[in-house]
Amino acid sequence: MSRRFAISRTPGTSLHGWLWVAPTLVFLVVFVYGPALANVRYSLFSFSAMSTSMEFVGLANYARLLDDPIFLQGLANNALYALISVIFQVGVALTLAAVLEARIFPSFAANTFRSALFLPSILPVVVVGLIWQLLLAPAMGLVDQVLWEVGLGDWSRAWLGDPDTALLTVIMVSQWQWTGYIMALFMVAIRAIPRDLYEAMELEGASGPRIFWNLTVPGARETILIVTIITILGSLKVFDIVWVMTAGGPNHSSEVLGTLMYRAAFRDDVIGYSSTIATVIFFIALTIGVVQIKLQKDR
Amino acid sequence: MADTALTSDQSLPGSRFQAGEVLNRIVLWAVFLTLSVICVYPMIWLFLNAFKSTNELFSASWALPETWRWENFSTAWGYGISRYLLNSVIVTVATVAIVLTLSSMAAYALVVMKFPAKVAIYMAILGGMILPPEVSLFPLFKVMAATDLYNTYFALILPNAAFHLPFTTFLIRAYMVGIPPDLREAALVEGASEGLIWRDIYLPLCRPILASAGLIAAMGVWNEFIFALTFVESDSVKTVTIGVTSFAVALRADYGIMMAGLALSILPILATFLILQRQFIGGLTRGAVK
Repeated sequence: MSRRFAISRTPGTSLHGWLWVAPTLVFLVVFVYGPALANVRYSLFSFSAMSTSMEFVGLANYARLLDDPIFLQGLANNALYALISVIFQVGVALTLAAVLEARIFPSFAANTFRSALFLPSILPVVVVGLIWQLLLAPAMGLVDQVLWEVGLGDWSRAWLGDPDTALLTVIMVSQWQWTGYIMALFMVAIRAIPRDLYEAMELEGASGPRIFWNLTVPGARETILIVTIITILGSLKVFDIVWVMTAGGPNHSSEVLGTLMYRAAFRDDVIGYSSTIATVIFFIALTIGVVQIKLQKDR
Repeated sequence: MADTALTSDQSLPGSRFQAGEVLNRIVLWAVFLTLSVICVYPMIWLFLNAFKSTNELFSASWALPETWRWENFSTAWGYGISRYLLNSVIVTVATVAIVLTLSSMAAYALVVMKFPAKVAIYMAILGGMILPPEVSLFPLFKVMAATDLYNTYFALILPNAAFHLPFTTFLIRAYMVGIPPDLREAALVEGASEGLIWRDIYLPLCRPILASAGLIAAMGVWNEFIFALTFVESDSVKTVTIGVTSFAVALRADYGIMMAGLALSILPILATFLILQRQFIGGLTRGAVK
C-alpha cells in the first residue's frame, strides 16, 4: 500500500502513463471515432462527393429512409442474417464442439474433423464468395451437376440469380465459412470446464444431451454470450460476401445496410443519404454494445 | 438359478444400451464425415478445375482433368497475382508491426501504471471494437483524398491498424495482468526505465499472446476488403482480395485460368494452415475464455 502510494506521488507518473496510451488513442480518434462523428454530421446534409458546398437538410435524410422500401428490405435482411447466424454459429457450433470434446471419436479423428471444419474460416471472404459463385453456377457448377446426377434436377436453379433464394444462399455460404471457427472457440471454452464434473455425471449415467444442457451450456455461458454478440455485430456489418456474390441483387432482394451504404456513397454519389444509413448502423452497433456491457455487469 | 436370472437381467438392458450406443456413434461419424467433406471439397474442386479447359469444366466439373494444364497457373500468375500477393504481404506486415507495438505499450501502461482517467481511457479503447468500419468509411475516404494518402499503402495500413488496436490491446492486457508485478518493481529499484522493463521483461514474457494477437490481426488485414475496395485503385498497391475480384471480372470467359488464379491467391495461407494446423487454430482461438 505504501509503495503504491509512493509511486503515484513520483513526479511525472501520471503524464508518463498517458504517453504510453496516447499513440493508440490518437489512432482511434483519427481513424475510428473522428470519422464516425463526422459521418453523423454528414447525415444532416445533402451533398455529393465532389461538391464544395453542403446543403443543410436537418432530418430529411432520416425521413427519406423510412419511406425507402429498399432500406427497410435491407434492414430486414440484416435481421434474418443475424437470426440464421446465431442459430448456426451459436446453436450448431456449440453442439458440434460438445460432440468433438465428448471423447466419442479417437483423438486423431476429432483433430481432423476440427481442422476440416475450421478450414473455410482462414480463406478471404472474397475468395469464398467467388468459389461459391462458381460452385453454384448453373450447368458448370458442382451443386447443379450433383443435383442432376442424383435425380433432383428439378431443384436446379440459378441460386444467386433468383430473388427468392439469393439472400438465403449468401447467408448459408457465410455459415459454411464461420461455423467451424466458432466451433473451435467453443471447444476451447468447453475444455476449461473441469473434467471431473463430466466424469461425475457420466458415472451417474447421465445421457449426452443431459450433460450438454446441465453442464456444457452453463459452463460455457460467458463464451456463448460473447459469441452471440459478435455474431449479431458481424451480421450487422456484413458487406464483402454480399458485395462479391450478388452486390445486393437481383432486384435488391439480397441488399443489406452495408451494400446500401456503399452504393449510395460510391456509385450513386448521394453522400448525405449514405451517411444516414451508416449512422443507423452506428446506433444499432452502439445499442448492441451497451446491451453486452449490461449483460456482463449483471453476471 | 438365481445366478442366471441375475446375469440375464443385467445383460439385457446392457446390450440394448450397447446397440443404441453403436447406432449413435455411426450417426455421429456420418455427420462429421459429411460436414468435413462439405468444408474441404470445394477447395479440392477448385484446385482440380484450375487444371482444366473451359469446355472440360462444363462437361464434368467433378472429374479429374484429362490433361493437367499447368500453363493455367503460369498464365494466371502473369495476370498480376504475384504483385497483389506482395502488396498484401507489405500491408499486413506493416499493420501488424504497428498494432503489436502500440497495443502492447497501451496494455503495459493500463496494467502497471497509475494515471488519471485510466478506466475511461481503457473503455475508450475497447469501444473501438464495436464500431463497424462502414460507419467511418466515407469520412476516411475524404481524409485520404484530401491528404496524399489515397492510393498508397498507408491508406490501408493506417485505418487497418486503428481498427485492430482495440481487440489486440484487450488480449495483451488480459495476459499482462497475470505477470507478477514484483518483476517490474524489482527492476525499478535497480534503476531500469519503464521502456526497458516493457521491452526486456514484459514483451518476452508475452510472446505467446503476441503471437496469437499478431496472427489474428494478420488474418484480419490479409482478408480485409472494404478499405482495399475504397482507398486504393492502382494495381501497384491493390491487395490480393481486391486483385482477385478484378482478375475474376477480367477472366469471366476463361474459367480454368480464373480458378488457377484463385487457387494461387489462397495457396500461401492454405499451405501454412496445413503445416501448422494446431498452432494456427490454437492461436486464432486464444482469448475465447478469459
